Amino acid sequence: MQSRQVLTDGAGFRAAMSMPGVLVTFGLVLFALALVVVLAFRINDGALFVGPLSLSNMITIFSDGLYAKVMLRSLWISGLVTLATVITAYPVAWYLAFRAGKRRGLVLFLVTLPFWTSYLLRVFAWKVVLAYNGVLNSAMIALGIWDTPSTAFLNNPTAVVVTLAHAYAPFAILPIFVALQTIPPSLLEAASDLGASRAQSFRRIILPLSMPGVLGGALVVFVPTIGDYVTPAMLGGPSSTMIGNLIQAQFGKANDWPFGAALAVATMLVILIAVALVRQADRRWGSRT
Amino acid sequence: MNPKTLLLTSFTAGALLTGPALAEDKLNYFTWSGYELPVFHEAYTAAHPDALEVSVFGDDDDAFTKVKSGFRPDLAHPCYDKIARWNAEGLLQPIDTARIPNWDHIFPVFRNLPDIQAGDGKVWMVPWDWGNTSVLYRTDMVAPDADMSWNMLWDPQYAGRLATIDAVHDTPLVAAVLAGVNPFDMSESDLEKVADKLREQRPLLTTYTTDMTSVEQSLASGELVAAMTWNASAVALKAQDVPVEFMDPKEGMLTWTCGFVMLKDTPNTDLAYDFINSRLEASSGKHLIEDYGYGTSTDSAFAAVPAETLDELKLPADPQKMLETTIFTGPMKQNDALAKMFERIKAGG
Repeated sequence: MQSRQVLTDGAGFRAAMSMPGVLVTFGLVLFALALVVVLAFRINDGALFVGPLSLSNMITIFSDGLYAKVMLRSLWISGLVTLATVITAYPVAWYLAFRAGKRRGLVLFLVTLPFWTSYLLRVFAWKVVLAYNGVLNSAMIALGIWDTPSTAFLNNPTAVVVTLAHAYAPFAILPIFVALQTIPPSLLEAASDLGASRAQSFRRIILPLSMPGVLGGALVVFVPTIGDYVTPAMLGGPSSTMIGNLIQAQFGKANDWPFGAALAVATMLVILIAVALVRQADRRWGSRT
Repeated sequence: MNPKTLLLTSFTAGALLTGPALAEDKLNYFTWSGYELPVFHEAYTAAHPDALEVSVFGDDDDAFTKVKSGFRPDLAHPCYDKIARWNAEGLLQPIDTARIPNWDHIFPVFRNLPDIQAGDGKVWMVPWDWGNTSVLYRTDMVAPDADMSWNMLWDPQYAGRLATIDAVHDTPLVAAVLAGVNPFDMSESDLEKVADKLREQRPLLTTYTTDMTSVEQSLASGELVAAMTWNASAVALKAQDVPVEFMDPKEGMLTWTCGFVMLKDTPNTDLAYDFINSRLEASSGKHLIEDYGYGTSTDSAFAAVPAETLDELKLPADPQKMLETTIFTGPMKQNDALAKMFERIKAGG
């Protein structure tokens, strides 16, 4: 009797604690998601949720080559962003975990410093750097490396990749840093006792054990950048229109909400596939045991 | 904290957070960015200090979808070609011209626009501003024998040095003119011709944008050779001594007019009428002409500006004269189809 009392108390406490989470998940996330899914199967007849359902939006998305093309472009751009972010983040995380010592607090502070300004300001800052009369062109002309400013840095996918890789760097640095930090030092000591070179112990111990951090960081960068629309709109020019821009246009100028919702649902499916692939990769290469 | 204080505190916090939305004694005005300046409604501010909230948009198609999805200003400022569309959604209420003392100063050409008539001395829109859309180009960077035509924005020799306006009533309208079809009523095959013209232009452009400040900066730095802009950009760059000219294309500039519409169910009709009337004062219009180079709908404002200034700005004191040589941006019957097609082409379709 006594123990049962404790059990029900515990259950009540647990239920109370999970209430906010449940409310947020059901009220804000799942309900909103359900609205988007329903809207995706409506036609653009003025009424939003009342009326017949139809597959026509989905048929358009899968039969019209444009959407596959823009989706592939988005995957390609955010794939490049992920690659650039992880490659540049790894050395920083490695330094933080093994070499920073007393300066770790300072370096971590510097890593998170860009978050002190709004994302939009960081996009504009890159515009200032990459523009025709911007910092990069002016410096190159001053150094005599070229004599007329180049328009090659802005209004193309490269500008989008550079800006996003910079903006998302902390999202990759932190998980890799955590993964590196939890590697037991005894393993590295054992490796050097057994005569492994530093390159060998990196390849055989550090890299495999940090893979969960790398994959986690990659996912955290890859998923939100696929749907990004501000950066391509501001810096990308016509050649880097991404799926987020198309979705935004349907809810704005093109004035076809159901089709925008259908594009959003299709994008979620693609992201789901990407996440499933990463989980598969994690099972194969990421596991620690 | 007892339950009563808790309730009270949360109410206060809620009221603070949602304050502006609840304020019923302030006029909420939704306008093009740059058109919210206090110099345009000094009489209103004098009569009702601190009774105005402003939100801005960069394109009136975006403004339309925002209002359609539930944003409720009291007054909005779309352009004439969109009025039928706003009306079809039942968003507007008729404006009684008898309550606007300055109504009679509006040029007849604007007063008599067909789509604004609501019958019985009432209108759907009170015209306020008008202006032109054309090619703004660097005189020192285009070929000396350059043809004064909209085709400059399609000229491959300026590839990567051109920009255009991201709005259905601008770029696709011009594409239709160049493709030789009637922009205001198109058949399926006409739409396809316009699409081809737009596809031809896309690889040459650095950007489709409504951010005129960026376009002006790029023209000033020499990154852009030519761009589609409105009068105000020409005025701004000339004031900075950038060698630019606002083209008078042989196909004709685009002339547009915009004005005030009153949203249905606004609780602030009295403030709205005062606001509209103050914007039609001669002194307001004078600022619009002299600072931005746009025309106003009122003859009194034109009378207040010296003739030399008007000459310099190429603004005839009688807009009727302007309209004889330009293309008036009226409602486009296929606006929705054109908008969808334009979005496709921008994305590379």
